[in-house]
Amino acid sequence: MSGDYSTLGPSQRAGAEYAIQEINNSDDYSYELEPVYYDTETTASAGSQAAQQAIQEDGADYLVGAISSSVALGLNELAASEETVYFAGGAAVPITGEQCNEWVFRFETNTAQVAEAISGYTVENIGSNVWFHYADYAYGTSVYNRTSMRMEEASADFSEIGQTSSSLGASNYESYITQIGNSDANVAVLGMTGGDLVTFVNQAADRGLTEDVALVAPTMAYKSTRAGTGSNSVGTFGGVRYDPSIDIGDNQAFVDGFQSEYDELPGSYERTGYGSVRLIAKGMERAGSTDPAEVRDTLEGGEFTTVLGDITLRETDRQATNPAWIAELTEGDGDSADVDILSKTEGADALRPASEFGCELN
Amino acid sequence: MSTVVNLAEQLINGISLGMVYVLLAAGLSIIFGVMDVINFSHGELFALGAYFALSIVDPLGSGVGFWVALILSPLLVGIVGVGIERFTIRPLYGRNPLYHILLTFGLVLIINDLITLGWGPEQQNLGVPEYLTTPIALGGIEVSVYNYFMIGFTALLAAGIWLFLTKSKYGMIIRAGSEDRQMVRNVGIDIDRYYTLIFGIGAALAAVGGVILGGYQSVSPGMGSSVIVPAFIIVVLGGLGSFRGAVFGGLLVGIVRTLTRTYAGSELFELQGTIVAVPDFEGVTIFLLMIGVLLYKPQGLFGSSEHGGGAESTLLTGVESQVFSDGTRRTLGLAFLVLLALAPLVFLLTGNTYYITLLNQMFIFAIFALSLDVVMGYTGLVPLGHTMFYGVGAYAAALVMIHLTSSFLIALAVAILVCAILAWIVGSLSIRVSGIYFAMITLAFAELLYNMVYKFDFTGGSDGLVGWEPLVGIAGVGIELGSISLPLGLIEITPATAFYYIAFGLALLSLYFATRVMNAPFGSVLASIGETEERTKFLGYDVRKYKRRVFVISGGMAGMAGGLLAVNPSTFIVSPDQTLAWIHSGEVIVMTLVGGMGTLVGPMLGAGFFVGAEDILSSYTEQWRLVIGTVFVLFVLFVPRGLISLPSVIADVYSESRFDNSIATKKDMEESK
Repeated sequence: MSGDYSTLGPSQRAGAEYAIQEINNSDDYSYELEPVYYDTETTASAGSQAAQQAIQEDGADYLVGAISSSVALGLNELAASEETVYFAGGAAVPITGEQCNEWVFRFETNTAQVAEAISGYTVENIGSNVWFHYADYAYGTSVYNRTSMRMEEASADFSEIGQTSSSLGASNYESYITQIGNSDANVAVLGMTGGDLVTFVNQAADRGLTEDVALVAPTMAYKSTRAGTGSNSVGTFGGVRYDPSIDIGDNQAFVDGFQSEYDELPGSYERTGYGSVRLIAKGMERAGSTDPAEVRDTLEGGEFTTVLGDITLRETDRQATNPAWIAELTEGDGDSADVDILSKTEGADALRPASEFGCELN
Repeated sequence: MSTVVNLAEQLINGISLGMVYVLLAAGLSIIFGVMDVINFSHGELFALGAYFALSIVDPLGSGVGFWVALILSPLLVGIVGVGIERFTIRPLYGRNPLYHILLTFGLVLIINDLITLGWGPEQQNLGVPEYLTTPIALGGIEVSVYNYFMIGFTALLAAGIWLFLTKSKYGMIIRAGSEDRQMVRNVGIDIDRYYTLIFGIGAALAAVGGVILGGYQSVSPGMGSSVIVPAFIIVVLGGLGSFRGAVFGGLLVGIVRTLTRTYAGSELFELQGTIVAVPDFEGVTIFLLMIGVLLYKPQGLFGSSEHGGGAESTLLTGVESQVFSDGTRRTLGLAFLVLLALAPLVFLLTGNTYYITLLNQMFIFAIFALSLDVVMGYTGLVPLGHTMFYGVGAYAAALVMIHLTSSFLIALAVAILVCAILAWIVGSLSIRVSGIYFAMITLAFAELLYNMVYKFDFTGGSDGLVGWEPLVGIAGVGIELGSISLPLGLIEITPATAFYYIAFGLALLSLYFATRVMNAPFGSVLASIGETEERTKFLGYDVRKYKRRVFVISGGMAGMAGGLLAVNPSTFIVSPDQTLAWIHSGEVIVMTLVGGMGTLVGPMLGAGFFVGAEDILSSYTEQWRLVIGTVFVLFVLFVPRGLISLPSVIADVYSESRFDNSIATKKDMEESK
C-alpha cells in the first residue's frame, strides 16, 4: 500500500476487510475466510513477491487487489501458474484483455467501460472540440485510445483539437494547461489518475482553465480525487464506477454497514475490495467447496447480485458487466465536491465484446 | 493566441518552477561544496517543510496560516537539519562521501516513513490565500498570481542568501570553505564549526521550497523523491558549491523542462511528405543536458576544479575478520556453503517453499552487489546508475526468451554481452570524469534508459514485458523451467528449486571469477588505482583503460544478475520500476556498504541481509522502512567496514584491545595490496 497508488490501496483494503468481517459474522456463508495482507509497494517485483509469500507461506488460495496495472499483470501470470483465483483491483484493460487467463476475474469496472460511459455523453452534450491530455503509461494511453475512438463513433461533430502527454508522476502541468487554454478546445479529456490528476486539476483551477474548458476524466469523481482537489473540481465531469448514493443491487445495505463501521461513506475502491471478496465467498457457496478450481468454474459466466446490481462475470474474459455513469461535480457541503449523476450506461452497453480487447477464453 | 504570448506564459511557468529548484539546489550545493556531503535526504527535508506547513495552515486557516507556515516551517526543518548534522553526519567527517550516501539513504527511509506515519499516505491540498491563486492577465499574458509570488519571493530570498554569502563574515568563510577547505583551515579558521550552521540553512531553504511548491501543486509523501534527482543534476550542472551555478542551473532546468514539454511533438516543417517534428524528449532532456555539460566541462558550468577527487578522505574497505584464523574461516565458509546447498531440501520437506523464492531473490542481488563491488570497492568509482545493467540485462534476457529462443543459457549470454557492450560505451564516456561527476553521469545514463523503456512499444512501456517460459537446455532440446517437477523420495523438486541451484552455482562462479581477477596482476593495478590514481599513472599504467575494463566486467556481471531475474520462475513481469528505477542503484550501493566494500564476499552477504531484513521486517510492521533506515544509520556510525567486520567489532568491544586490532587491520590491508 505504498508507492504511486498509496492513496488508493488502503481504501480497497478497507472494503475487503469489511467484506471479510461481514462474511465471517454472517450465517449466509458456510465458510470462514482467513485474510492475510501484503503491500505491493506499487512495484511488480514487490507485488509478485508478496503474493508468492501469501500463497507459499500462508497458503492463500485466493488473491484480491493490486491497483497498478504492471503489478496486476504480474499477478495475472502468477495466478495462472499457482492456480489461485485472482480478483484484480486495477482498471487497465489488458488484465481481462490481451493478458487474460482463466484464473483472473475482475469486479473493478475497467477503463474501457468507463470510457464508454463518458465518451458519447461528453461529445453530444458537453462539447465536441476535444483536447486529450494523458499520463504517458498504459492507463493514460488506453484512456486516450478508447475515448477518442468512441467519441469519433458517437458524433460527426467531434474534432480532436490536440493531444499532449506528460510522464507519470509529473508535478507541473502548467505548460499543458497553457496550451489547452490557448486552443479552441471546449473539452479536455484527462487520462490520468491519483496524484497526477489531483495536481493537474488544482493547477488548472488556479489558472482559470476550469472556467473556459470542461475537464472530463474517468476518475474525476473518485473520492480521493475529490478530496485532493477540494472546490477546484467543481464544474468538472467524471466517469463514475460507483457512488454510495446509487440505489441498485444491495448497495444500500453495504453503504449503511460500512458507514456504521468506519464512520465514512465507501468510495469506489472500497466497493471493489468489498465486491471482489464477496464474489469469492459467493462462488464458494455456490460451488459448495473452497477448492480454487471449482470456485473458478462456478464464477465463470455466473450471475451475481452485487452493489452494482446484477452482473455477470463474462465467460469470455471474466470481466464483470458493471454499469457506468457520467457525473458533474458540484459545490458540496464539506470540503470536497458532490457528485451529480447525469447519465447511466447499462452494463451490457458499457462492455464491448471480449474479442475486441484481445481475450478469447471460451 | 499569438506564439509570443504563449511562449511568454510558458517562460513564466518555467521560471516559477526553476526558482523552487534554485532554493533546493542552493542548499544542496553549499552542503556538498563545503562539507562534501551527498545529502540524499534533502528531498525529504523539502517534503517535511510542506507537511509542517499543512499542520500550521490547518488550525490557522489559509489566509494567515500560509504566511506563518512560510516562516515557521523552515525554522522547524532547520532545527531538524541541525539535529541531523550533530548526531549523524558529524561522526563521519573525513570519511569518503560514499558513507554519506548510505547514511542519508537511511535518513530518506526514516523521514519518509515518519511523514507517512504522521500525516498519512494520501495526497493533500495545502491551503493558500485566495488572492494568491486567482488568475491575472498582464499584457495579454495570463498566469496565476501565485506564479508571480513564487518568482518574487524566491528571488528576494535568493538575493538575501547572495548578500549573506558575499557581504557577511560567515558567508565569506563559507564561500572560502567551498572553494578550498584546506586553505581556510590553514589560515586558522575552524571550518568544521560552521558545518552545523550550513546544514541547518540548507535544510531550511529546502523547506521554503517545499512550502511554496506544496501550495502550487499538492502535498504527498512522494514529493521528496520526485525533486531530489533534478536537484542533484542542477547542482552538478552549475558546479558543486557554486551559488551562482545553482541559480543558473535551477532556472535553466526549470525553463528547459517546461519548454520541451510544450513544444515536444510540434511540427516544424514538412519535407517531401514527411512531417519533421520536435522529438519528444520530456523526462530525458535534463539528463542529456547534464551529460553534455559534463563531457564538455567536467567541473560544471561555474564550478572550480577542487571537488570530485575525494583526496583528503579515507575509503574504509571492509576488513575480513581477524578474530578467526584462516583455517576457521575456511571451515565456516564451507559450512555456510553446505548449509546453502541443503537449504531447499529442508524447506521442501517442511513445505514452506516461499523461503526458496526468497533465497533466489538473494542470489540475484548477491551477484548484482558483487558486480558493484568490483568497481566500487577496488577503484573507488561510485556508479550511481548501476541498475542500468541490471535492468538492461533483465530486458535483454526477457526479449530473447520472448522473440528468439527460450533457452535460458542463451538468454543469459545475451544479457551479459549486451550489458558488457553498454558498459564499454557508458564507461568510455564517463570515466573521463571522476568522483561525484562519475556518479552523476552514470545516473544520467540509467535515467535515459529508464525513460526509453517507457517510451518504446517493444519494451512494453510502463507495464513491462510478460509472457515467456525459460527452457533449461539449448536449441530447443531441454525442459521448461516452469514445468520441472521431479519426485525425489519425500520431496518434489519444483521449478524454484531448480532455479535455486542454477543461481547458487552462478553466484559461486561469479565470486570465483571475481576473486581470480582481483588476485591477478590486473586486480593489483586496480587496487593501486583505488589508492592513488596519480602514482599508478606515473608508473606507466593507462588508468582509464583499466577502469574501463573493470567497468565492462562489472556491467556484464550485473547484466547476468538482471538476466537471472528474467529467468527466475517467480518473476512474471519485467517492468521499468522493478529494474531501472534509480532507487535500485541506491539499494545496491547500500548492500555493498552494509556487507563490507572491497571484500567481494561481504557485499554478497550484504545483499542477503538487505533482502532478508526487508522481507522479515515488512511482515511484522508497516513501518519497516523506518526500522531498516535506522539500521543503515547505525551501521554507518558503528560498523563502517560492513557486516564482514562484525566479528572483529564485537571482539573489539569485548576485549577493548583497540590498539592491537588496529595493527592487525593495518597488516591485513598491507597484505591485500
